[in-house]
Amino acid sequence: MKDLRTTEQEMTAELKITARDVQVFYGDTHAIKDVSVDIEDKTVTAFIGPSGCGKSTFLRCLNRMNDTIDVARVEGDILLDGEDIYDKKVDPVQLRAKVGMVFQKPNPFPKSIYDNVAYGPKIHGMARNKAELDEIVETALRRAALWDEAKDRLDAPGTGLSGGQQQRLCIARAVATAPEVLLMDEPCSALDPIATSQVEELIDELRANYSVVIVTHSMQQAARVSQKTAFFHLGNLVEYGETGQIFTNPEDPRTESYITGRIG
Amino acid sequence: MTDATASNAAPDAPRKGSLLDQDDRTRRRNAAEARFKAYGIAAVGVGLVFLIALVSAIIFNGVGAFQQTFVDVEVYLDPEKLDKQGNRDPADLRKVSTFGYKPLIREAVFAKVQELGIETEIESANEVEALLSASAPAQVRDFVIANPDRLGDTVAFKMLASSRVDGYLKNRVTRDSIARDKNIDAVHLDLTDALRDAGVVEKTFNLSFITGSDASESRAEQAGLGVSMLGSFFMMLVVLGLSLPIGVAASIYLEEFAPQNKFTDLIEVNISNLAAVPSIVFGILGLAVFIQFMHLPQSAPLVGGLVLTLMTLPTIIISTRASLKSVPPSIRDAALGVGASKMQAVFHHVLPLAMPGILTGTIIGLAQALGETAPLLLIGMVGYIATNYPDGLASGFLDPNSAMPAQIYEWAKRADPAYYERAWGGIIILLVFLLTMNIVAIILRRRFERRW
Repeated sequence: MKDLRTTEQEMTAELKITARDVQVFYGDTHAIKDVSVDIEDKTVTAFIGPSGCGKSTFLRCLNRMNDTIDVARVEGDILLDGEDIYDKKVDPVQLRAKVGMVFQKPNPFPKSIYDNVAYGPKIHGMARNKAELDEIVETALRRAALWDEAKDRLDAPGTGLSGGQQQRLCIARAVATAPEVLLMDEPCSALDPIATSQVEELIDELRANYSVVIVTHSMQQAARVSQKTAFFHLGNLVEYGETGQIFTNPEDPRTESYITGRIG
Repeated sequence: MTDATASNAAPDAPRKGSLLDQDDRTRRRNAAEARFKAYGIAAVGVGLVFLIALVSAIIFNGVGAFQQTFVDVEVYLDPEKLDKQGNRDPADLRKVSTFGYKPLIREAVFAKVQELGIETEIESANEVEALLSASAPAQVRDFVIANPDRLGDTVAFKMLASSRVDGYLKNRVTRDSIARDKNIDAVHLDLTDALRDAGVVEKTFNLSFITGSDASESRAEQAGLGVSMLGSFFMMLVVLGLSLPIGVAASIYLEEFAPQNKFTDLIEVNISNLAAVPSIVFGILGLAVFIQFMHLPQSAPLVGGLVLTLMTLPTIIISTRASLKSVPPSIRDAALGVGASKMQAVFHHVLPLAMPGILTGTIIGLAQALGETAPLLLIGMVGYIATNYPDGLASGFLDPNSAMPAQIYEWAKRADPAYYERAWGGIIILLVFLLTMNIVAIILRRRFERRW
């Protein structure tokens, strides 16, 4: 599905990820059909759609997390800064350092807060000594708005934090490896409203440095945090455009039905 | 909504009735539940009764093995007889065999009897020999060779009583039971009673049952489990050293890296099957491969360890895979998500979380191997090993030895009822080891169990 406004945008904003005719198969199931989408740098892009529509699947294609599923097969082109991420020469490990991910359920490692954040920088050799590592950890925790709460108990286990704090810890962990793109798969679905609003504010701040792609079930959330919204339905990308446009004046009747709560 | 309820109510009216009386259905349901609970309690009760019967039988029969009857004898080490050259040279002292010591000892005992003024029908020193273990002369001889300068002194020894005398003090041997026994007469038992009253014969804790080596058929009082315990120890070293790394490596590969296809399915089925193969099959395999084909020494703990490794591997692989599987996939996602390679994700995150489960499985596997007897019978680790302790590591692995359960089996086969008691005593020691290992496994699991 071609969207005219996308082409208009290409003129103004820098493109980060370009996906063309992406197909994903899980065994015999055709989960994603012909999805083409352009994701801009320093923008929050929201993927919305009913459960099982393929938005999370598509998100996981962007950092090749689908590689871990034996039966999954991806076709089509996904370019990050013009380079095909499914090229044979690409090592998914390097890709994932550039494209960080935050998962639906907060999943801190059962280690200390410090070790959680320091793990990524350590395995990528980003710090030469302890002082540098400390600094990376502090910056990441500050970015994730967790520093004030966590600075006195960096040695406490990450799993002992509250749900919202755990999710922010996971964001800090993703941010610590200095990615260029941050993928978030329903980051607030396990959080209460207060924690949700904290994470949303955080996403808005992160936009200054990263290209953020967020999958969400809450249309209010998509409307609040994103600049661009893509609506998925039954594996198809139905509509993609400015968030305001999608929510106020959708082109496709399916989008309108979903937004008004008639399908989904 | 209101319409719907109204139309539903028409065919069968809402049930009326007090909550305070139970209707028939509820009563029947509750009765069924109560019956089921009763069956459960009965099942647990039967299990407990068996357990109590087992434990009390073991303790009742085996506790005697930890006590032994000793006779205090003061022996005059006559230099005339023991060192005819009179030069105190150990080489010359060795030339006097235990037969040279026998007269000295029996005279010492006889002298003691007369000194105490005990009235007995025994008239010559020759007859008191039946009170003492056949090991007594060797004990004195070893002392003399070790301390040649004590020749000419009168030295007090604590000598093992013969197994009949020991059995008499433990109520195993009675005056009726010795009616046709060539080794001992009622006269001896009378003498034993008198000596016990005088404090010369007494029953004390028997450390050498735990530390000693096996003894011949006629010296049950001397036999101990120590050497076969070392045999088991060296076997367990082999089992641990081989099965833990091989088992963990195999299960990590199968669980985390191997592609899912027919071949890995086949391997998986076979591992489960191997876990159910009777242990004697592994024994004959070990006999064919390790001894007949590879010519490894017979009866060696090394071979026993190899055979038990084959047997333990499936257990360890199955429990390791189960504990790897129980690590939530979100941890793997998290590690991969920050750009860890598959191996980093496994070794930094999954393996540490699975470790308590792996260790528990390993300890349970080892405990199983420790109690395993059948394969050892086939590779000859059940011989009569009355030698002393292995000196050094190499001899520990390669010299013929026995293992605890095999030693127990061997004792249980022997004719002297004193050995029967020792077999039960050996079972107690074996069970103590197994219980300790299981408790360690439980503590490890409790301590390292993580919640997420």
